Amino acid sequence: MNTTKIIASWFILITLTLLSVFVGQVIGNHSLFLFLVLAIVSLKGQQIIDIFMELKEAPRFWRLLLLSYVLLVPAIILVIYLL
Amino acid sequence: MTQSISASIDADSTIKIVDKRLPGDLAMWFFILAELSVFAIFFIGFAVTEQLNTELFTASKAKLHPVAGLINTLALITSSFFVALALHAISQQKVRSTVIYLVLGQLLALVYLVVKLWEYSFLFDAGIDIETNTFFTLYFLITAFHFLHVILGMVILAYITLRARKNAYQQDISGFEAGASYWHMVDLLWIILFPLVYII
Repeated sequence: MNTTKIIASWFILITLTLLSVFVGQVIGNHSLFLFLVLAIVSLKGQQIIDIFMELKEAPRFWRLLLLSYVLLVPAIILVIYLL
Repeated sequence: MTQSISASIDADSTIKIVDKRLPGDLAMWFFILAELSVFAIFFIGFAVTEQLNTELFTASKAKLHPVAGLINTLALITSSFFVALALHAISQQKVRSTVIYLVLGQLLALVYLVVKLWEYSFLFDAGIDIETNTFFTLYFLITAFHFLHVILGMVILAYITLRARKNAYQQDISGFEAGASYWHMVDLLWIILFPLVYII
């Protein structure tokens, strides 16, 4: 993974973190707020897995396995909170 | 080290062969999967318990320090960033840069530990501990378990820093990759833990 991609990924992660804190203060709709915060978790997870862990260049099975974790766990949490 | 080779034929009929390699060693990835599974159970258990005790969780979350969680998130992301830069540097055999990035990564991990300990002492001073209520039982159990993983990650980072200084990664960097992957997992877990405990 080249340095530019790593720096861009760090910038995206910091921006998404600040955005997730900001979302709670401006979004009144609780369901939309939950969806946005948990969607941000998935996006941040994808950055860590693909760029920091370098799984974007790894065998597809391992990449999809890790990506499914950061999609499924927030999705399950969202369903629990919306029930 | 796990490798797979994929081949594709493009429009002008030239064959491209892409060598895909799993960073680090396979045993570390199975260990990472096991750790992720344990934490998934914690996260889902926390969410279910919150749904059963909504008012208690809302009132208890309000007692947490609003900025401590954010500082720790920024610290762990930036620490992971430096470890990713260190891996890039060691792959080019830039030992001095590798060591500097790893030390910066560990200093930020130290920021996490200090802020977390301060947060615990802030709660203890307010008369709150693991037995206060269901929220704080889960809060202390999950965050302390993660805290222990940060300490283990720091030991691994210290070990690969010493090995890097001794030029031990000139031939094979898979041990370095395995240690870095573990550290990124610690970051990944906090990425989920932070909104669950502090934001939602």
